Amino acid sequence: MKNRTLALFAVALGVGQFALAQDEVYLKVTNPGLSRVMIAVPEFTSRPGTDPAAAALLLATLRKDLDETAVVGVVPAENAKLVVIDPTNPTLTRQRWRAVGAQFLLDGSFAGAGNQLVLETRLWDLTSGEVAFSRRIQGTVSLAATMAHTLANELVHLFTGRPGPFLSRIAFVSDRTGAKELWVMRWDGTEAQQLTTYRSIALSPAWSPDGEWLAFTSFLRGPPQLFALRPTQGYLKTLSTLPGVNSSPNFSPDGKTVAFAAGAAGVTDIYVVPVDGGTPMRLTHTLGISTQPAWSPSGRQIAFTSNAGGSPQLYVMDAEGTNVRRLTFDDTYADEAAWAPDGVKIAYTTLIGDRFQIAILDLRTNARTIIPGPGNNESPCWSPDGTVLAFVSDRTGTRQIFITDPAGRPRQITDKGNNIQPAWVAQVQ
Amino acid sequence: MSTLWNSKALGPVLLGVLLLAAACAHHQAVVAPEPQSVPAPAVAAPAQEAPGTGTTTVTPEPRLSPAENPESGIRTSELPADLEQLNKAGYLKDAFFDTSKSALRPDARDALAADAAWLKEHPTVKLTIEGHCDERNTEEYNLALGWRRANAAKDYLVSLGVGAGQITTISYGEEKPFATCHNESCWSQNRRAHFVITAR
Repeated sequence: MKNRTLALFAVALGVGQFALAQDEVYLKVTNPGLSRVMIAVPEFTSRPGTDPAAAALLLATLRKDLDETAVVGVVPAENAKLVVIDPTNPTLTRQRWRAVGAQFLLDGSFAGAGNQLVLETRLWDLTSGEVAFSRRIQGTVSLAATMAHTLANELVHLFTGRPGPFLSRIAFVSDRTGAKELWVMRWDGTEAQQLTTYRSIALSPAWSPDGEWLAFTSFLRGPPQLFALRPTQGYLKTLSTLPGVNSSPNFSPDGKTVAFAAGAAGVTDIYVVPVDGGTPMRLTHTLGISTQPAWSPSGRQIAFTSNAGGSPQLYVMDAEGTNVRRLTFDDTYADEAAWAPDGVKIAYTTLIGDRFQIAILDLRTNARTIIPGPGNNESPCWSPDGTVLAFVSDRTGTRQIFITDPAGRPRQITDKGNNIQPAWVAQVQ
Repeated sequence: MSTLWNSKALGPVLLGVLLLAAACAHHQAVVAPEPQSVPAPAVAAPAQEAPGTGTTTVTPEPRLSPAENPESGIRTSELPADLEQLNKAGYLKDAFFDTSKSALRPDARDALAADAAWLKEHPTVKLTIEGHCDERNTEEYNLALGWRRANAAKDYLVSLGVGAGQITTISYGEEKPFATCHNESCWSQNRRAHFVITAR
């Protein structure tokens, strides 16, 4: 069931058909949460043959998606109902939408035959009065929600230059079955699926950038070893059986190499191994613990945690293992570096008093920003578009995954058992 | 003291004392004393750990871990055949650690010295040393820390003459806690090198 569901995304939706040029950014939003673009999404018209339930689901999903982003908001219903729609005068109607706070208007019309659903949409820029974007989307009625996610992704891409989160998935480790297994869910916490049933210990899931592979650590053969799973096929391959922990994998941005931590005789160093197979190569030569590698988006650097200076701190090195230098100096503890897609920020876990907290280091200024929250908060993970963070908190008494909402407020997205180590990918392939 | 010096316990006590002395000797490059003079250096042993500047505080009665287990002198042939029973019998003592540390505390050295004595008497025994951590720090860091703890315990045993081939090491990090509350009373129990006998 899981395999079929995931595979459908690629097959039934002609993904390439909707692709936008990378540089086609309509409006660069630089301050998420403060400058949301307000879009009016009124009821779409339906031609004969349209499946009414599928059409309703698509529209509801589209509105919900858009409203949950940090960059786009849907004109609230109480404002929308003030607008008198005049079918004979669309220009006047658009002016009325603008009067209730809308900057853009998305109109659309459904059509369909048999099990097919078709949506034609136009996005009107209400300031210029021109069409900013138009799209025709077609799929089977069973994929109505996925069609909505695809359209919402494109609209977010239009405003930010980065893909929206709506087809994104978060892999994580859950003990809800009694053993620590790998799971994956939609970005909002829905549709959780169990990926492993080893009844062993699974740790440290990490996606390849294209969403094809999920690397992780498992004790399924006794000692911890590094594996890569293709979630759409259930295919598992071994990446490392080196002595030591074989933990904290992280894919290079080109998806060809995995950095991880391992080492004999109690020492843990950073290694890299080709995803297609090959001998692991050691990058660091510390005498203590070096772990948690995180590639920079450029692929030129790797941040990692080391206790070389006494306490765990963040360091960075060139991807060849040279030019090691320390990044954090203001923390008594720094671990779990997560490099933001913009390349200039690193989220990490720090210790404030006796509580673990998420911090963000700006690499341009070396300024540290603490994101305070109740309880212990750790394992930060950027959304693929870099606008929000997922993290783990024990504020409810159990360990659960939270994401920040458009205003930066935390929103709990798991609740069964303990759920840790989120890894977020734009789309599973 | 009368029970301590009874004939049954005398062997292991002397052996443990010898090992303590040997551990000191290792650091001080002092020749291990003759068996007859064992009590004296053993008495001085805790002084090695006392912080200070030149003042040696003699502790009259050191804690001798082997004496707490009167059965530790029995031979392999007398060991329970069942590995589960063997592990439950408590022949080997776990070594405990400070927060975020893998350095061996004095009490951990004492426990390991007793373990080494027993293991040298039972050279056919094979064991796995599991490194464990409390839930502080991240999962990945704790996995590496547990690996360090397990190997620190192994290295010390080997330095005391235990065969390296008897020992394998594994880290479970914070994944298999012995106590599950969320404060120091549990955390201190979870920071350990745990001994599991895998063959007798």
